[in-house]
Amino acid sequence: MFAAARKRRGFIFPPYVLLLFPAVLFMLLIYAYPFISSVIRSFINKKGALSFDNYIKSWNLYLKDILFTFSITIFNTLASGTIAVLLSVYFRLHDSVISRFLINLYRLPIFIPFVVVAQMMNGFLAPHGLLNIALAQLRLIDLNNPLQLFNFIGLSFGFIWKLAPFTILIIYGGFQMIDNSYIEAARSSGARRLNLIIRILIPMNKPSIMVALVLIYSQIVGTFTLPYMLIGGKIPTTITVDIAHRVNYFMDFGVANALGVFSYILVFVTAIYYLKTKVREVK
Amino acid sequence: MRKILIINKKLFIVTLEIILLLFSLLLIFGPMTSLALWSITDKWFWPHLLPQSIGLDYWRQALGIQKSLAIGAVSIIPAFFLSLMIAVITVVTAMAIAIPAGYALAKYKIPFGMFIFFLFLMPNAFPQQPIFVNLLDIFTKVGLAGTITGVIIVHILVGLVFGVWITSATFRSIPPQLEEAARSVGANGIKAFFRITLPLAAPGLLASSVFVFMTSLDEFTGTFFIGLPFVITLPMTLYSSSGYNMQFASVIAIILLLPSILFMMLIQKVLKAEYVGGMG
Repeated sequence: MFAAARKRRGFIFPPYVLLLFPAVLFMLLIYAYPFISSVIRSFINKKGALSFDNYIKSWNLYLKDILFTFSITIFNTLASGTIAVLLSVYFRLHDSVISRFLINLYRLPIFIPFVVVAQMMNGFLAPHGLLNIALAQLRLIDLNNPLQLFNFIGLSFGFIWKLAPFTILIIYGGFQMIDNSYIEAARSSGARRLNLIIRILIPMNKPSIMVALVLIYSQIVGTFTLPYMLIGGKIPTTITVDIAHRVNYFMDFGVANALGVFSYILVFVTAIYYLKTKVREVK
Repeated sequence: MRKILIINKKLFIVTLEIILLLFSLLLIFGPMTSLALWSITDKWFWPHLLPQSIGLDYWRQALGIQKSLAIGAVSIIPAFFLSLMIAVITVVTAMAIAIPAGYALAKYKIPFGMFIFFLFLMPNAFPQQPIFVNLLDIFTKVGLAGTITGVIIVHILVGLVFGVWITSATFRSIPPQLEEAARSVGANGIKAFFRITLPLAAPGLLASSVFVFMTSLDEFTGTFFIGLPFVITLPMTLYSSSGYNMQFASVIAIILLLPSILFMMLIQKVLKAEYVGGMG
């Protein structure tokens, strides 16, 4: 097709046009078009007219779920981030058999897909699942009144189980880039361990900490599998579950898209930050 | 006196480390143990810590060796081969368009390059579920909803983004001088690419192919919207049995988990940390 156009017009395309053409065309058709149509259709009501109906309906029906999604996201991002920074600092400053073993141990969950994590948690966190039974054997809880975990707590456990290790991978990777000489210099000038961590290690590693937080933040907002299989249609649930219900049970694409736009708004700041850093990186 | 203090301090740190180790082992392996136990459970009534009787019945059913009428228990062999076929077609197609694009992004200064970068970054920055929802609507109109082709297109979308970024990072890491040297001794651009650049990029390209393969094998959300109820991949059988049959769902989960861990262990060294977490 392109070769023909080239001959006819006597114009030579630079080679990258041909190289990029299939991928860009695919992304425009299968990504950009549905993306734009998700925003446009959120403003079109059932009668086909422009309106805020879908937003009003989403707000009235799902405000609780939007807030739930936001709090789940914030809590798990910060929790995973804190766990990851603490463990990465320990891995960086303390080299021992145990720390080396733990570095590898914490890689394991990263490679396990969310759908498998969801099934795992389904069995582990159930009212009569392994966790509750084990706690009852230790006489910490009464099995007639087990911990109910298919809610904020259980969902957070699942997210942190899968995402904190990923956060460690990125943040520890950043710490490894910091040369030993900085740490030695700080130590020999009498800096205490806590000072060394707060004044030197963390500020020097700020870029990778930020990227890790931004990545898991948008991943949590967009994850469908885990909340769908753990919480499902219970109230409150996440936006992603509501979108699936809206589409599967009501074929209501308007409200589903309005909820989709709410999820875009939730990630807006982190998305801009991510796009900016990535573009700068490529340049 | 001071020596004793130092020894005490060391002992204290080691104790803390051991506590951390035990705690980590419990946290990481607790849920995995639960999954493994469920997959071989025959009878498990609370409040028993372990199943009362175990057996490989559910494995036999899943692998089609033994037939059962239990709810949610079907042979997963057809789903397994369907998933495999979809993953293979996805890898071949996605890489065929990702490699040229990754090369172009790495080696050329492109007008409107910013726009193209954005296009490939957006799916990582924004939730993808609304895309699948709207694709369902579009695919319904053109007759692709509920078809294997439709599912493959969605899997390509998920894989393509990683494919393009990983290949372009790979090509960028190869010094352009090598290709220039080949050209200066008479090789043309295409020959220089196939003789010099491609072999050097091979490990990175292989790693990204494996990665795209795994994203397709484990893909859930896109298949859920586009494929159900007609295209039943392995993750879909897991989902549909998880509410009814814990044992069966656990067997499928383990079958999905093993290749993920195996392959990712193999390719993680080649991949940038950021991409490793991109899996569904």
